[in-house]
Amino acid sequence: MVSIGSTAESMKELPFLGQIVGRLCWNPYVTVGDTNRGLLLQCLWGLYSENPSNAVERKANQWIRKVLCRLATEEENPAAEILMKSTGVPPKEYHLRVLKKMVKQHQENIGKTCCPKKSTDPSCRCSCDVIQTTSEAFVPLIDCPEASPVICSLLQHPGTSFTDALSEDFLDALNSTDSNLALDETALVSVWYHSLPRLEEAVLDLLESVISTGSAPQNLEQQVLKTQLPKACAHHCSMFLVVNDIFRSILRQAEGNLVVQSVIQTFTRCFLKELEELEPQAKTYICTFTMNNNLLSAGKSQTSTSLKAFFPQSPPSLLVPLLTLPSEMPQEAWKNHLEWLTASLQRLTEQEEEEEDSQSSRSHHNGFETWFLLVQCSHWVQVAGELLVTSEAEPCSPLLWLLTFYYHPTNRWHCRAAHLEEAKKAWSHLHALSSSSVVSPTADHLQPLITLLSPKPQPPSPAPLLTLSLTVYSAVFCRLPHSQSVEFFHTVVHAAGLHHEAACVLRSLQHRLNEGSCSSSDTVHVRITKLQSTVTHMQAGGNSHTALNSRAQEDTPAVTKLSVKKQPLAHVRPLAEFPHNINASHSAEAE
Amino acid sequence: MEAVLKNVASAVELLAVAAYSDAMSQWDEKTLSRAFHWARYCEHVYTRFHTNSAGRRVVEKQLQHTNARLRDAFADYREVSFMDLPRCEHLLLLALLSNPHLPISTMKILFGKKDVASRYYDYKEVTGLCSHLIQCKSACKVLCPFSGLSAVDADAEVQGEMLMKRLDALLSQGSDPQQAEHFLHSVLLLSEEAAHHSCLVITAALLTASDSGTQTSSQSFLLNWLQKEHGMLQHMGSTLPSAVLKDLARAHGKFRDAYFSALKKWASEMEYSLNDGEWLPEGTAPSLSFQEMVEHFSDLFDACPSLRRNAEDELLALKILDGDFDARGLSVWGDILSELKK
Repeated sequence: MVSIGSTAESMKELPFLGQIVGRLCWNPYVTVGDTNRGLLLQCLWGLYSENPSNAVERKANQWIRKVLCRLATEEENPAAEILMKSTGVPPKEYHLRVLKKMVKQHQENIGKTCCPKKSTDPSCRCSCDVIQTTSEAFVPLIDCPEASPVICSLLQHPGTSFTDALSEDFLDALNSTDSNLALDETALVSVWYHSLPRLEEAVLDLLESVISTGSAPQNLEQQVLKTQLPKACAHHCSMFLVVNDIFRSILRQAEGNLVVQSVIQTFTRCFLKELEELEPQAKTYICTFTMNNNLLSAGKSQTSTSLKAFFPQSPPSLLVPLLTLPSEMPQEAWKNHLEWLTASLQRLTEQEEEEEDSQSSRSHHNGFETWFLLVQCSHWVQVAGELLVTSEAEPCSPLLWLLTFYYHPTNRWHCRAAHLEEAKKAWSHLHALSSSSVVSPTADHLQPLITLLSPKPQPPSPAPLLTLSLTVYSAVFCRLPHSQSVEFFHTVVHAAGLHHEAACVLRSLQHRLNEGSCSSSDTVHVRITKLQSTVTHMQAGGNSHTALNSRAQEDTPAVTKLSVKKQPLAHVRPLAEFPHNINASHSAEAE
Repeated sequence: MEAVLKNVASAVELLAVAAYSDAMSQWDEKTLSRAFHWARYCEHVYTRFHTNSAGRRVVEKQLQHTNARLRDAFADYREVSFMDLPRCEHLLLLALLSNPHLPISTMKILFGKKDVASRYYDYKEVTGLCSHLIQCKSACKVLCPFSGLSAVDADAEVQGEMLMKRLDALLSQGSDPQQAEHFLHSVLLLSEEAAHHSCLVITAALLTASDSGTQTSSQSFLLNWLQKEHGMLQHMGSTLPSAVLKDLARAHGKFRDAYFSALKKWASEMEYSLNDGEWLPEGTAPSLSFQEMVEHFSDLFDACPSLRRNAEDELLALKILDGDFDARGLSVWGDILSELKK
């Protein structure tokens, strides 16, 4: 219509346009939805001429005004109108009350249905079709705020989780509406359960919001918990699998992105806490393991079935040992535990590399899964780092290996040995710095470290994250006075331009230490706070923009990719596969 | 009080300007917002004074005065009464939309997308005012076919509530009961077509749980009125579903008695037709078949067991008056009794 030009011309081209638009105005199914109503109004505005030049246009204008006036003010029920006038109730209030009452009646009706609370027998289905008809009836009202109590009730109804009670049209409408329904927890989980795109959207929103604020925000855990995703995943195994698939996909694209890794780690931790509340016995085997390494091998067969269901692709032998939090274990046992973990990981990766040589594609998958599990449980990597920098003896090679593996999972071009060498070099520099009695380390002392931290042009160029982590841990745990460690930290990080990454590492560390407060001391907390404020100052300052920009450029590909991927991810398993998992997990949960 | 009267006068003048002049074509969004603010102010005035008869009289006087002035200024001026005050916003909207000088930009504001942030209409915000209204009305129409979830439709229920609230107000003001009766007449006795709807409204009004003294007395007043309105009672008895009638009888003794009396009257007007072998309604009685009549009696006794004994005695007495024959077709009372005993 816009392209046609004037109203008179439009009417000539499309003579029935006025009739159609007019009829649509009186169709409540059209006028109830925001989008349709908006489009209808746009048509009307399009037909309106600001400066009518002929009779057709003048008539059209008059008609449009009349229609809109009638739509907004006319009362079709004369009895209602008389009553409104005599009782002084305005039409707006009246219609709102009637609508709310209708909604309430439907809600009560839903509450009365005979569907069982939680059916252990899937063949016992509710015979009444109240849910079906109500969901069908409310399809046009999906973005009407007054209808949200019924929509929530429909989604929360226990019957809907187990049967296909909700109408297809209803679920489609739910997917495509962009209104923010005031969904409470249970309803939100139900929406995600029924609608894969919505779940993906929620996960991507979380990742985007975290990434767009630069480095990992102070309240990452709060943010993750607020999304209700961990809780939902603890209740529904299938959702956890989907979320992890999304994480895997993102990780593959955004290698070395610490922020994404910290989100994954935080999410997994929150998820485990929720799972603990649901199924406290999932990890109770732990107590028997930790004291004596020998028990570990016996214990692995006892891994709970539900844990296996949540982590189907991870190596089962590593599952419980990795999922155990350091705070659930006495500090003295950490080193042994880590050595055992490293030995297992080494074995697995060597196996993978052998198979790789023999051209087996399955091995890549296993290797990645092992590493992914480590990312989810990176608390152990942090502990390894802590132990490395606090031990006086020669660098403990299993711990170094673990850190190297964490930051460089693939052994592309067989350069793990080279990475290990670098890690050793970094460690020895840091060890020297932290144990020296030099009052203020000069630039010369720090230069080797800075060199290690700067990116190198030619491959194999290891990202300096490993060295940076070790630097951060050194700064936090070393026995130097606060001022000295802060200063050397500042100099090194500033020169290398790795502010964001350093902040990220610090925050992850702080989270872990806040969790299990048994091992940390006040000094450490104070140190972390001081280091964080240093980093904040560095971030605020604009001096090393050039170094910063180069870092930022490395980060942006991942960010832009994330913002593009609002549509379902290709890597994610299609929905058709899930019914199998859903049934399996439910039968497992029902036991 | 002075200030209030002055404000009311200004608001009414504003309404007239919106309706009849072209000055409102200059209004921008802020002015529009303020205009609606004034409309809301009038609603507050109503809330404050509608139970205070002295204050109300003063406001009414001011309105008369303002109306007279405006009648001189505008030819088609429609007066604003005290009862129009609570619906001032609607009147303003109506005035604006009917005024051919309303700029299209203002219309676009009113019909625009409502503010998503403020979920419910905040009186300061006029954007999307009409959109929300249209959405509510359409939603009600969409959900209408799915009624039947409860005995009384949602709109009848809301109207019942409105009715009772107004009745409460009228009766508690200590004003002439004639006024209350007049009110009931004007809203309930509309037309033949609307009779059924009025039945539903009355039902809803009577079935709302009364938890205050005023409500009970209002319901009592309504029942008294209903007893005098045979036509309405007749309509209720013949068209409402039995479950509803049972609820009403259980809830209100007066209704039970009135209903029983009505049933007796209708039964007494029935004539036995030899051709059909059946009792048929005659005259002014509602067209209930004999079987339906029996069902009504039966339902009533089910709902009110206390009535049963006395009622049966009464019917028996009536049967005796008719000659106490047991043969069918001679006494409607006898036949009713024998049906009931089955």
